[in-house]
Amino acid sequence: MDFRNILHEIEKTDPEVYEKLSPRRSVLKSFGAKVAVAALPFAIGSLFKKAYGKTTTTTVIDVLNFALEREYFEYAFYRTANNTGGLIPAGDLPGFKIIESHELAHINFLNTTITALGGTPYTPNHFSDPTTEGFYVPSAYDFTKAGIYQTFDDYPTFLVIASTFEDLGIRAHNGQFQYLLGNPVFVQAQQMVATEGRHASFVRLIRRLPPISAMEIPAPWINNNIPPTPALQSYYLGEDNTKQLNNIVITSLPGLTGNIPELSATAAFDEPLDKTTVLSLLSPFILP
Amino acid sequence: MKIMNSPGEQQVEITDKIPGVSRRRFFQLAGGIAGAGVLMTACRPRSGPTNIYLGAGDTALLNFLYVLNQIEAAFYTQAVATPYYGADHKELLALSDLRDQEIAHREFFKKILGNSAVTTIQPDFSTVTFADRTSTLTSGAKIEDIVISGLIGASGLFTNSDYGLAFSKMVSVEARHSAYCRDVLNPNTLSDNTVTDVNGLGQSISPSAVLAAAGTYSHTLFDSSRLPN
Repeated sequence: MDFRNILHEIEKTDPEVYEKLSPRRSVLKSFGAKVAVAALPFAIGSLFKKAYGKTTTTTVIDVLNFALEREYFEYAFYRTANNTGGLIPAGDLPGFKIIESHELAHINFLNTTITALGGTPYTPNHFSDPTTEGFYVPSAYDFTKAGIYQTFDDYPTFLVIASTFEDLGIRAHNGQFQYLLGNPVFVQAQQMVATEGRHASFVRLIRRLPPISAMEIPAPWINNNIPPTPALQSYYLGEDNTKQLNNIVITSLPGLTGNIPELSATAAFDEPLDKTTVLSLLSPFILP
Repeated sequence: MKIMNSPGEQQVEITDKIPGVSRRRFFQLAGGIAGAGVLMTACRPRSGPTNIYLGAGDTALLNFLYVLNQIEAAFYTQAVATPYYGADHKELLALSDLRDQEIAHREFFKKILGNSAVTTIQPDFSTVTFADRTSTLTSGAKIEDIVISGLIGASGLFTNSDYGLAFSKMVSVEARHSAYCRDVLNPNTLSDNTVTDVNGLGQSISPSAVLAAAGTYSHTLFDSSRLPN
């Protein structure tokens, strides 16, 4: 396979392909000769993503459907928890009811938006046309991860899982913004992530305060890449990034005294995560 | 309670603005005359209070966010310096973490802006009683909510899309802050219909409207005539 031939083929239908990929047309034409063969598939993938990925309607719908997939997941999670007697103390239940209502609102909003854009809204496995249960599809999920977590039997465990899902949901949103640039949905997706940020904070604060008083004194935000429990470290990889906007190192900026401490420099930004990684982290909780 | 800046700090940007003539227009005029450096110096205003000019386009949006984060950083700096009565160890820890995160945001914008950054503003916290827990946390949530709506409102307006992407990573963080201030004061108040709509979406508000709302917390006034909206 010759990369130059692929470009020539595309050029027949899109004469501007070289300009879209790079204004340095000549560099691209000699691309195949200059890039190591092993690195080529990766390089080509990111090139095309840059040139075409941001503007096509298909990709926007893909992003929205990916968000919808996560909202179904979260809605099933909270609705199950809120209706499991003895799990959530009465004092915390109103907050979790608010979260559940937000997740349902997001499902409705995404369904409407995707349909309006001419797309077909995602539905989870085992989804049947909603009549009495609406968009509640608990049979699509196993939130215990095959019995590893007593998610709906033990409140502290439920909070750990909820924190992890919320933090992951934010990272998933942040990882998709790049495909929405220039589209009105870009702003709406940020409006959605603002709501998810409130959820994450709520759950984390409950873990921080008595009677839970979790061992790692979790803040309502993510300091470094500290997970609620070591077993869930993989959900937090990369959260300790200190470089923003390409190469501004936040820990090298002046703080109140000395430079910005790493714990706060990392908490000040919620790091994006790509779709493949997010799905791999959610899949242990999803039934075939 | 007010936080006073060192005297003279505010003057830097003021002297950089000619009353009645927008900066852009001024440079268009000045640029039309080759080697007009002497003229530019000569044209500097004599005196008089003027609103701080935020700039135009992306610069204006960056300065807008820089100002918002200056307010937040100053707020928590004061909250830590004179903590409210009844703050326990965990609440004090949270306040100083909030302070340092907002300083990080502030310095981030300052770094991006470089020479285009507006000067240090003079915050106005006369509506806040820092000794009082309710007043402090309620005000913190209000300020956070303003900043969230401003971050989102500005996000789609940047010419350089790298900015919109980079700052999107701060939206959920400010939302975490707001919900913290709300919940630690009154459990289960993470959100209400003033900040989250029927679609479960946080507010997106135009930069000018956000700047006006933030005016409660700033003695410094701004010329936002070329702030995108």
